[in-house]
Amino acid sequence: MTEKITVALAGNPNVGKTSIFNAITGSKQHVGNWPGVTVERKMGKRVHNDLEMEIVDLPGTYSLTAYSLDEIIARDFIIEEKPDIVVQVVDATNLERNLYLTTQLMELGVNLIIALNMTDLSLAKGDRIDADKMQEFLEVPVVSTIGSKGNGIEGLLDEITKEFHRPQETDNVFTYDDAIEKISQDLESVLESDPFFIHYPSRWFSLKLLEGDENIIRKAKESDSYHGIEKILNKVDAELLEAKIADQRYKTIQTMLRQVCNINTCSLSGSDMVDRVVTNKYLGIPVFLSLMWAAFEVTFTFATPFMNMIDIFFGRLAEAVTNVISVPWLASLVGEGMIAGVGSVLIFLPNILLLFFMISLMEDSGYMARAAFIMDKLMSRIGLHGKSFIPLVMGFGCNVPAIMATRTIEDTRDRLITILITPFMSCGARLPVYVLLAGAFFGRDAGVVIFSLYALGILIAVVSAKLMRGTVLRGEDTPFIMELPSYRVPTLKGSAIHMWERGRIYLKKAGTIILIGVVGVWLLASMPAPGSNAVFASDAVYGTTQSVIGVIGQFMEPLVAPLGFDWKIAVALLFGVVAKEIVVGSMGVLYGAGENEDNLSQILAAGAMTPLAGLGLMVFTLLYAPCFACIGVIKRETGSWKWTMFQLLYGTSLAWIFAFIVYQAGSRMGLLV
Amino acid sequence: MECNYSNKEVLFAALAGVLYSLFGIFNIAEGIGVNTGLAGILFVPGDILGGICLVVIGTVFLYGLKEMRQGINAGVSFVYVGILLSLVFMAVYLLIMAGSLLDSFIVPDDYEGWSIMETFRPGIYLGLLSIAGMLYWKDSFSLHEVLVFREGY
Repeated sequence: MTEKITVALAGNPNVGKTSIFNAITGSKQHVGNWPGVTVERKMGKRVHNDLEMEIVDLPGTYSLTAYSLDEIIARDFIIEEKPDIVVQVVDATNLERNLYLTTQLMELGVNLIIALNMTDLSLAKGDRIDADKMQEFLEVPVVSTIGSKGNGIEGLLDEITKEFHRPQETDNVFTYDDAIEKISQDLESVLESDPFFIHYPSRWFSLKLLEGDENIIRKAKESDSYHGIEKILNKVDAELLEAKIADQRYKTIQTMLRQVCNINTCSLSGSDMVDRVVTNKYLGIPVFLSLMWAAFEVTFTFATPFMNMIDIFFGRLAEAVTNVISVPWLASLVGEGMIAGVGSVLIFLPNILLLFFMISLMEDSGYMARAAFIMDKLMSRIGLHGKSFIPLVMGFGCNVPAIMATRTIEDTRDRLITILITPFMSCGARLPVYVLLAGAFFGRDAGVVIFSLYALGILIAVVSAKLMRGTVLRGEDTPFIMELPSYRVPTLKGSAIHMWERGRIYLKKAGTIILIGVVGVWLLASMPAPGSNAVFASDAVYGTTQSVIGVIGQFMEPLVAPLGFDWKIAVALLFGVVAKEIVVGSMGVLYGAGENEDNLSQILAAGAMTPLAGLGLMVFTLLYAPCFACIGVIKRETGSWKWTMFQLLYGTSLAWIFAFIVYQAGSRMGLLV
Repeated sequence: MECNYSNKEVLFAALAGVLYSLFGIFNIAEGIGVNTGLAGILFVPGDILGGICLVVIGTVFLYGLKEMRQGINAGVSFVYVGILLSLVFMAVYLLIMAGSLLDSFIVPDDYEGWSIMETFRPGIYLGLLSIAGMLYWKDSFSLHEVLVFREGY
């Protein structure tokens, strides 16, 4: 009979948990969110030796003293959900740091198996690790694996089966000095006498109390016996004890490592060599900026033929469909509304996919962690943390996953500021607006204009962070503590999967929100305004002041008139809040450009808008309220409508002010009129 | 620490450092409108940002040269990583060429009178030097984790 068990994959960040998860579960996996929070939850199934295993890929954590949201989720899952087996994935090239978590998992008394991963890399470095000796020392099964190639996975599954059927013993392997042991036992006796703590291993809980773990102390305060616990804790210096406990754990680890490993320290490893250059005080930042430039150059130039292919395809499709449908309004809806609208968004899919591919290559190789490290000094000058840098770079692809990526930032203020400034990073959805307007008005200088907009976004983000840090979110700087993972060869498959996972969100958006948006714009542009006697979808109504959209636009026009925008732009910007891509689709509909993207460009360049207003529109699109999906994520990640509204109002006010300055100052100086 | 670099690495760092820096400066000069006279012969474009990147690669080589001359053995890291960086940029320029070539078939009207050599860049032929360096030092090129996945354990 098949038994069902839960297996949790735990471990430090970047140790290859996800590779092992993918190797075990193959295609039988699904992704959701952890209850109540938007941290990705990967689950999958695998049947092996009459056991139906539900595999849960936990977020990376360095220790069970949880600081970041990821760490709290991983710890709570292990403690509250009590998985049958915990597989700790350990990076064989960085044993000392990884085994710190092992000591804590063992203290927790979980059924632990160690997957000694990336053994190929440690071998290449010249290290020799005796897995059998390690198993003997720790009294925990140790299996060698190479997750990226699927090596050792069957052995790991066999070991999970064996461990599940093995009778459990919960002996302590790690002992501390007499003073710590004495206090720990005093606490344990209080904990064991109170049924409130029955859920927690008392040894582990007492050590967490001694380490001064805030979450654990908060939990203890809920019990009736907290008075007794407090009395014991008042006798000790928590900070000193925390350091002593960590020190003694590391000493035990070092003793074991001396017996089971032969670490090659004779030559400079490849990682060390690369790190000497990319983290160099003078060269680190220039090298990083050069690589970013290379990534953007490939993104925007190699994508061109693929963009043209999509453009041609949708142009022909719209033409064919329009010719086939004999009912004029339906032909207009399908051709000018749906196909042209969605096509104008899908045209940027190659850019988005390539950008995500480049970012994946940098992340998977281990370089992105170095980027955060080298940028820390610069980031701290603007009141941010080095870790804020990665979400900001991701924001160039899409602000939604970028805001979700801020959860790795431990400090609440740093995290909040990063969330609030991420929408100023020009995401891929704004690109269609830039390309259209820069192409229409700036010809050969379009590239420089687009680059300047990216730079302006960064500048506004930097100044905003500095302002917020000095005013509404004042606080101490937090130190940069982040493990630099070993460099790895990013696999084409791995990067392609990451690229597709993120690109799929864009595609899904094009197929749903954007399609609904452009159809909505078409409908409002086709419906006669109340009181007028015009005919639905007739040329006299479509996209004119006689339509419903015309009435809405004219109502809004006074707000945007000082920026040089007419009512059509006001409407396009309003719909742009649904998704930024709709700005171009809406303009296409309202300016009557039809299915061809080039038509709109020609209409604008022919005088529908001045170059100065075009520049102001690009600036406004960069800074104003982000899209619905992004607003939703800001609300969920900040947990506050107050901060969400602050971002919307702050961004939109900045957008108006900057577009006003561009248009008014430019007009007075006689520029680009 | 024991070092196993020879005068060849020092010479390579000097040559690559000077060439990359020089061509980077030419790119920048063309970009700001100075006619270097090399646009036709050596395919030097007016590309300020691309030029800065070439200068950065050149500086990596020259930094290694400086360290090795000072007796810092680990300075050889800059030569090997400089080679890697230059190969990355060579790949980038080749991708750009490939993209333009493909585009010329898709929208031929936009490419009337165009030649593939218009997208040829110094980063490509300078990269050949790095390929030679990489092939020469492939055995002592101890970036195992970066370049090699060994089978078996």
